[in-house]
Amino acid sequence: MHPLITYIDINLYTALQVVLLGFIGGILSGFIGSGGAFFMTPGMMNLGVDGVISVASNITHKFGKAMVGSRKHAAAGNVDKKLAAYMLITAVIGIQIAVGINSHLFKGGGGGHGAGGSAGANLYISLVFATILSAVAISMLRDVLNSRGNGEEDGGPSMKIAEFFSKLNLPPVIYFNVADTKISLWVLMAGGISTGYLAGTIGVGGFIGVPAMIYVFGVPTAVATGTELFLALFMGAYGAISYAYQGFVDIRLTMLLYLGSLIGIHLGVYGVKVVNERYIRIVTSLIILLCVFSRIIAIPVYLRQLGFIQYLPQYDRYFNMGSKFFLFASGISGAMVILLKVVSAYRQRRKIQKTLLVIKKPNEPMAGMERAA
Amino acid sequence: MISSLYQGGREELAQALADKARWPLLTREELQEQAKQYGIRVGRLEVSMIKRPPYSEKLAREKKLYLAFLTSALCRKALEGNLVYSGRAGHLLLPGVNNRLRVGLTAPLDIRIQRTAKSLDILPEQAESYLMQLDEDIAKWIHHIHHAPGQDPNQYDVFFNLENTTVPNAAEILHNIAQLPEYQATAASTRMLKNLYLGAEAELRLITDEKTRALDLKVQAENQVVTVTYPPHNEKISAAIPEVLADLEGCREIQCTMAETNILWVQERFSAESENFQQVVHLAQRWGAAVELMRLISPEDSVADVNDIDEQSAYTFGRRECPLEDDGGVEDDDPEAAVNDGGLGAAMEELINQGRCGGGHTVCGGYDKILERVRGDDDYALVVVGDMFLSKGQSTRTRRTRELAMSIRDRLKAPVITAEELKSRFLFGKSQALSFLGYTVILCLIYAAAFMNQDAILTFLSGPIHQHTKWLAPLVIVLFVPFIAYLYGSVTGLALKLINID
Repeated sequence: MHPLITYIDINLYTALQVVLLGFIGGILSGFIGSGGAFFMTPGMMNLGVDGVISVASNITHKFGKAMVGSRKHAAAGNVDKKLAAYMLITAVIGIQIAVGINSHLFKGGGGGHGAGGSAGANLYISLVFATILSAVAISMLRDVLNSRGNGEEDGGPSMKIAEFFSKLNLPPVIYFNVADTKISLWVLMAGGISTGYLAGTIGVGGFIGVPAMIYVFGVPTAVATGTELFLALFMGAYGAISYAYQGFVDIRLTMLLYLGSLIGIHLGVYGVKVVNERYIRIVTSLIILLCVFSRIIAIPVYLRQLGFIQYLPQYDRYFNMGSKFFLFASGISGAMVILLKVVSAYRQRRKIQKTLLVIKKPNEPMAGMERAA
Repeated sequence: MISSLYQGGREELAQALADKARWPLLTREELQEQAKQYGIRVGRLEVSMIKRPPYSEKLAREKKLYLAFLTSALCRKALEGNLVYSGRAGHLLLPGVNNRLRVGLTAPLDIRIQRTAKSLDILPEQAESYLMQLDEDIAKWIHHIHHAPGQDPNQYDVFFNLENTTVPNAAEILHNIAQLPEYQATAASTRMLKNLYLGAEAELRLITDEKTRALDLKVQAENQVVTVTYPPHNEKISAAIPEVLADLEGCREIQCTMAETNILWVQERFSAESENFQQVVHLAQRWGAAVELMRLISPEDSVADVNDIDEQSAYTFGRRECPLEDDGGVEDDDPEAAVNDGGLGAAMEELINQGRCGGGHTVCGGYDKILERVRGDDDYALVVVGDMFLSKGQSTRTRRTRELAMSIRDRLKAPVITAEELKSRFLFGKSQALSFLGYTVILCLIYAAAFMNQDAILTFLSGPIHQHTKWLAPLVIVLFVPFIAYLYGSVTGLALKLINID
């Protein structure tokens, strides 16, 4: 075994917690359209799993899940394989950069104090996580609030950035048939490398990949989601192979995550069908912000382990508890809100089997009858 | 219906034809002016469409309003008699009306540049870049409004290049073609126009009325019956629909169905007692969907196989008389018509009883006619291609139905399946129950084996074996993980299908 790798013991209680993480992550993933790693990765870290093992196990889990999900999207015509191929080539570079940095920081050690050699990698992952996801959540919230201010009824994504890049017209420009958009190869490369880097660093490639496709490339939302999932299949496979080669994948965690996530994802997707877009965006951004806050609370622990700040080690547990509390609060409350919507929609479906029939006869008032109510 | 790009000669040709045939001329510019007076913000819609807008309810409503206005105005005029229309995409208007003559027009670029320079009083270089930009914008407009490519030859009956043909000669040719029997009004084409007119009028009323303007609607009309479907979140305001449509001329029945989504069911003949009907309705009830019936009559039945082509059909590539029973224009309460509608009326009646009616219509032709009918409105959760080509043998029928489904699948964004696939993919039967049990047992065994041998697994993944053969762990993971995901994904999918959550 790698001298620095410490796998956690998995008993029934731990296993149930991981399944719960998977279930909540699955619901959020199905509802938000991302991989759910923003919840599952820090959730596993809070259970004592090293950051790099959390990322590796989650990216492996994402690989299998993307395979199942992308088949459904492909059947619905939402996958632009040409765009995915271009993104993949550049994303692999990004993943390789991420795996290299994570691995280097992990092997570089972190100063002990129960942190194994992972404090440096944990700090790095947490900082990237907090920065990127704060930006995503805030821009999403701003978009929704702005659309209300403008009197728009639904918060569709702004196309200003996509318009700006399309006007740049940096050759070579490539046309993508399914997405029905033209993108400069240079813009495509930047988007692909960023997506790969984030997928490899924090396992949340979809959080940059989907917005990049929508906002920067001008791809329709459904095609962006389908293409990202198709891309995630290959990126996940590449990430899983890379991390497994280094011995970081804990397949037990991956299997337990599946137990929860593949049920949760169905419920989340069902929720999307019955909740309006504006509500989805608000719930999503608030959940992400709470997750970010949870990760920020854990950062002092890594800083102390690395010797950047000084305080008594026994205070670590308070930071960890606070971090765990906010993470589970965000996930559980978000999942509960979505589940409530799912249950109420499920019950409502029973009531909506009705056709109102109104027959107009000459010189008579309309005769209406409701069938099958 | 004459279409061309800017300065492509459509105005001149339309005017020449109208003069020659003494038919009224209607131009896009006139309709735009009328639309503006009606309160439609056409300029804003154009800018929004050209800028590749994201989907928004407001924009979708504006687009629906514009198309309904155009359809209503054109149908009203066309029902009065022959008509010449010129516009950017006139050939895409009035889908399903078989006697329209769709004319495409192009002119050499240098002539278009000269005409543009003269018309706008600018230099030829400026005119060229102006034309390039305008052509691109028009292509975007056609794409977003009509969901069709710009100048696809398949969309026209006749296409002229004015490089070698003069406008008067082109008008002469068109006038002669318009006299052919294929382009004369029939009872079927008149009925189609009336359906389109009624549907457009109903939609205009519902979109512009204060009480119903916030509704997210799907409106269609067939045989004086207006069908409206609306989502559950519009339930409170939906009560106003009959009130708004109360005095709509030519409407004898209104069907309003609340539905989360729509299922389009294409079939040659419908029967409420058939297994297909039960399965589609069962799925619709589970999904809260409205079922839209499309009776497809294939006039090319006789050219199904090369050996079948007879002398007459060798000269006919689809535009032959549709074998639809002609009711001679008598549509009201005609029991004979109800008998001859391929079971459409009875199936719709049963759907109304089940509360799942999303309307019904008859289309004559192949997959292209289906696409033409649903173009721009293809927000179906599922398209089911049921029993088709009933006059053929079992194997030919199966093959051609599958081919038809594939042709539609390639061109529609919605999932398209045949009736045979419906049960296996969306319903829970005996084979699904067996798969569920089998997969569950295999999964339990795998999980039990994995968690009873945790140390061995971890040693394999990063212990001495891994140190010696580093490629082995990635290989096992890349094979094992998709297998588990597939197995467990199937189990959860089937379990949720069993309890009607999918």
